[in-house]
Amino acid sequence: MSKKDVDLKPKNLNFSLRRTMAIAFRTMNQFRRDRRTIALMSIVPIVIMLIFGLAFSGEVRNVPVIIDNQDVLYTNPFPPISLHLGPNITDNLVADDGVDVTFGNYDQGIDSVELGDVYAAVLIPANFSELVVRMLTGENVTIQLYVYIDATKPTIRASVMSTIYDALDSAVGDRGIKLVQILAHDGAEFTGLDVGIPSVIAFVIIFLLVIVGTITVTREKIQGTQDRLYSTPLRSSERLLGYVIGLLLIAILMISLTLIFGVLVFGVKVHGNVFLLIFAALIFGIAHVFLAVFLSNFAQNELQAIQFAPLTALPSMALGGMLVPIVSLPVWLQPLSYVVPLTYGINLFEGIMLKGWGFKELWVDFTVVAGMCLLFFILAVVTVRNRMRD
Amino acid sequence: MAIESEYVIETQDLVKIYKTGKVKAVDGLNLKIKKGEIYALIGANGSGKTTSLNMISGALFPTSGNIRVLGYNVPKHRRIISNYIGIAPQDYSIFYDLSLEENVRFFSRIYGMTKAEFEPRFNELLNILRLEEKRKALAKNLSGGMKRRTSIACALIHNPRIVFFDEATVGIDPVLRTFFWKYFHSLKEDGITLVITSHVMDEAERADRIGLMRGGKLIAEGTPSELRNKHNADSIEEIFIKLSEGVIIDE
Repeated sequence: MSKKDVDLKPKNLNFSLRRTMAIAFRTMNQFRRDRRTIALMSIVPIVIMLIFGLAFSGEVRNVPVIIDNQDVLYTNPFPPISLHLGPNITDNLVADDGVDVTFGNYDQGIDSVELGDVYAAVLIPANFSELVVRMLTGENVTIQLYVYIDATKPTIRASVMSTIYDALDSAVGDRGIKLVQILAHDGAEFTGLDVGIPSVIAFVIIFLLVIVGTITVTREKIQGTQDRLYSTPLRSSERLLGYVIGLLLIAILMISLTLIFGVLVFGVKVHGNVFLLIFAALIFGIAHVFLAVFLSNFAQNELQAIQFAPLTALPSMALGGMLVPIVSLPVWLQPLSYVVPLTYGINLFEGIMLKGWGFKELWVDFTVVAGMCLLFFILAVVTVRNRMRD
Repeated sequence: MAIESEYVIETQDLVKIYKTGKVKAVDGLNLKIKKGEIYALIGANGSGKTTSLNMISGALFPTSGNIRVLGYNVPKHRRIISNYIGIAPQDYSIFYDLSLEENVRFFSRIYGMTKAEFEPRFNELLNILRLEEKRKALAKNLSGGMKRRTSIACALIHNPRIVFFDEATVGIDPVLRTFFWKYFHSLKEDGITLVITSHVMDEAERADRIGLMRGGKLIAEGTPSELRNKHNADSIEEIFIKLSEGVIIDE
């Protein structure tokens, strides 16, 4: 056995605040040298608060509805009562900014609801005032008002119904008038959870693919493997495609798990074509893989890479109709919804899963998502590097 | 296109100015390296060794000057020569989340090697580099010396004609270092040209020729004995200190 060196005293064995602070300063220094992270850390929360604040300010508003008022003036011979309640109700609805009223034919209104142009069609029957008069004179009658409503968005449905109740209440008073709800899309009625799943699927595809994608590509930079590959026969197109394929395999796994989980655990029923749903999920996923590869050009380390996920996902959440219906956003903010990819993802997944729509109804959204694929692909190709940074 | 020349690497007035810094990282470098030579590029940290290697290997584009590798213009024909060069970078540049074998196989695939070509070559390298027991180990769990050897295996898998070892022997224990140098000489015997960078001066004594770099320039060049005689010094380190005129170098 070798002799121990007596001068070599054991030291640095216990907890040391100095070492702790050395690490703390090192961490702070890392941010000091990374100005963009500081900028992002301070600006992003403000932006997100702003967006969410605007999105959440107030309840659901300006929901488009069609009203068919067939009610006619009714004059009762004895006792002499003359009533025309329909206009009172519609005036109240027009005055309420919870809904955005268009007058029209009820049958056409039903079609509009089915097409997703409006959320509800309201019919005030021709004998409405007559029935109210007969009720006032002591007759036992049932008074009904028909509401053909899209029940796939519970927040909108609740808001529209309460607006109609309010309008009715201030026009007629509480007379026990029945609101008959006819649910659109073959009576598709959903609880909040069911309805949330399609938008959650669209959201996680964006969020996770952007995280996984940017970090994977950025890690290559950190490990030095990317630079090393510049002096091998590997072409930049091969590199790009390699990333995309690799990430797409992860995406397929993730999307399948999400869909299976949604169906088996949350009991979501897919009303439309399952294959169309898988196709929609795939092209939506591919678009975001391209986006991630493109974005990773702008990240020098994993910390910067991970910032892209909330940066893309959170505004999407607020603007894409995931939390608040787009129609309820402030009007000047609404155009932004149409540049957010999530909007189209939600349209596709909700359309196929909840409303049973096919390509015929969703071709616009499919076209936009395909266009996004192409755009992000071009951006990724144009920015892919084939040599070390100067 | 390929011009017969006794030199496998030639650079002419090579200059590199990074966009981020205004300094010339490499400032008019003229290198001539012969086939089958062990050439040591020696210099302090930041003297431009790695930048030079990156340009010669075609990964980094020069600001000005000419490079010929195996008679081909670089970076113009870098894709051609990339099949005949191997690089073991300073920072290993291996995939930490892959095993040793997966790493080397990955590079063999990049070089278009088939499974039949890969297996015997890989086993040979494992044997030479004494890595047999670690072939399934994840790269991140390997010791520094093993990571270095893995990186070297990745650089050699495709039987390159020129190999660049960037600071290959830094942080390596003396036993392994001696082993490396023996191995370098055996590669030389196979006709392979080796370019080795180091900031450890005594390493250079084992090379055929030495280039001393400072401030992106070659300040002295020759065989170890030539340099010692010319500068009347006992070691390369002494020469370097003499040429630096006692200035503390930290470029």
